[in-house]
Amino acid sequence: MSAGRDMLCDTARAVFAEAATAGVAPVEEAGFALLLVPEEHGGFGGDWGDADAVLRIAGAMVPDLPVADLIARQAALLPAAVVSLMAGAMGQALALSIDHVNSRQQFGRPLAKFQAVQQSLSVMACEVRAVEAAAAALAVRLDAVNIDPSAAGFEIACAKLRANRAAGIVTSIAHQVHGAIGFTEEYALHRVTIALMRWRGEHGNDAHWAEILGRKVARAGGRGLWETLTSRG
Amino acid sequence: MQGLALYPFDPPGDIAALRTDLRAWLAVNQPQDDIVAKANCWASFDPDFSRALGAAGYIGMTLPARYGGGDRHPLQRYVVIEELLAAGAPVGAHWIADRQTGPLILRYGSEEQRRRYLPGIAKGELYACIGLSEPGAGSDLAAVRTTARETAEGWRINGQKIWTTGAHLSHIMLALVRTEEGSERSAGLSQLLIDLDTPGIIIRPIVDMAGHHDFNEVFFDDVLVPPGALVGERGQGWRQVTAELGLERSGPERYLSSHALLAAVIDSAGPDPDTAVAMLIGELTAEMWTLRQLSMSTAAKLAAGEDPMIEASVVKELGNAFEQDMPRRVQAIVDCGWDDDTDLAKLLRALLIASPSFSLRGGTREVIRGIIARGLGLR
Repeated sequence: MSAGRDMLCDTARAVFAEAATAGVAPVEEAGFALLLVPEEHGGFGGDWGDADAVLRIAGAMVPDLPVADLIARQAALLPAAVVSLMAGAMGQALALSIDHVNSRQQFGRPLAKFQAVQQSLSVMACEVRAVEAAAAALAVRLDAVNIDPSAAGFEIACAKLRANRAAGIVTSIAHQVHGAIGFTEEYALHRVTIALMRWRGEHGNDAHWAEILGRKVARAGGRGLWETLTSRG
Repeated sequence: MQGLALYPFDPPGDIAALRTDLRAWLAVNQPQDDIVAKANCWASFDPDFSRALGAAGYIGMTLPARYGGGDRHPLQRYVVIEELLAAGAPVGAHWIADRQTGPLILRYGSEEQRRRYLPGIAKGELYACIGLSEPGAGSDLAAVRTTARETAEGWRINGQKIWTTGAHLSHIMLALVRTEEGSERSAGLSQLLIDLDTPGIIIRPIVDMAGHHDFNEVFFDDVLVPPGALVGERGQGWRQVTAELGLERSGPERYLSSHALLAAVIDSAGPDPDTAVAMLIGELTAEMWTLRQLSMSTAAKLAAGEDPMIEASVVKELGNAFEQDMPRRVQAIVDCGWDDDTDLAKLLRALLIASPSFSLRGGTREVIRGIIARGLGLR
């Protein structure tokens, strides 16, 4: 990660920490709406890799604030923005789950020492890694085409569909390993899991993207799929 | 928490040309008569194909030229491997030697071993099998009991290996054996490179549920191999095997070896499939695209000299699940009779039957999940 992006992420963490209680105002004041605006138009001239990094932090820290709309600025980029939010929220759900099973004791030992719990969290971690990879690869594609969503339709469909599929698995395992405490209003898990439930259905649910993607691939033929994958990187 | 960063997959040289050349080569040289050989294709043995592939420079690509290798970058090899798998090429004969035995000999082997074995591996003529599993040591690999005692003439081996894929077609076995008397678990193990025509070795077939003879059991009855059969350091076998398993688990074969079925589904669906089939194709495509990104990033991390143990396990776990689910999901949606004489039906049948093995070979699903759990700090 570049030094500039590191600084951007540090700023985002500080601003979102404030916004978690103060609402969206600090995010607007910090100028995140200008992240993708070119420098010659008075913006920060960031790329989608920057947007992905900021949105992942937003997904983990302020999933209920409209940060995606603020940054994406055009409807066609919202599915991509939501993939980054979902990657961040899933990472947070995993981190909370790992903390919980390491500290919560039952039967005289931490939950983390039970193989059943270990296997569940491994499944969850694989899903989270998959969505993180999807968000990162989508960012690489968008930046290769000057953030033109019409030139990244294949990747947007793949990434949102994969994130949608992971959402169900990640939320259910996170809640299962947390037990009753995770189901309370007081505990922070629901902030990310309810957001994940909402995002799965927004900007294209599974069926929406599966059919669009499937028809695109069917038109290219069996060999065409591999040629598409390898020519787009 | 810092999320996963993708390692940029950036092989040197003209990669588009590498793909184009290999696709043209395959169009001429890949046997097309056996559609089922394209499914689970790294278990398809075809020595003629392997020799031709080796002669064309596509085996032993990363080995140094002085041992007959191609002096190529590991990510160039990765590109070649994924092209071969996506085409369903029968790469089984040389697969293990090219993927892990050759690199291990280069890394840990003596100069004599390198000169003796690597050129044959790079030509696609010398095949290797993996001597790890034993009747009492499956997932619990540290329970290995086959012994090798040092004598004046060399190592004297007694014991048994099992589930040895391709032993009957291989020239050498890289075996994990107990060289230190009285040692336990992961201590006292060493790796020996054993010529399989050595007297005292008996190889018996185990026919699998598909009716194929891929597996074997291999018996060692007072087998004498020369002192130079030791690979690497005596007593360091466990560490070396762990590195070998890293190579075994990180490759694109974990999600790409059944690509022929997906291609056949797409072809049989035609350009305007009904909605259920279109959605199935879309779902499988999204998973495959994601797996490819993960796999390429893992390969790039490995090529950068880092240890992607956890990432490799994630690719194996997700890739195995993808390949295991694919034929089941296809059967649930696509109308296709069990005995139909179409490519799709033959591939589907072969993969439904082969698929239980996908989450067993190379480390069971439970073992792989345990490795991931350790990476998460749970054990």
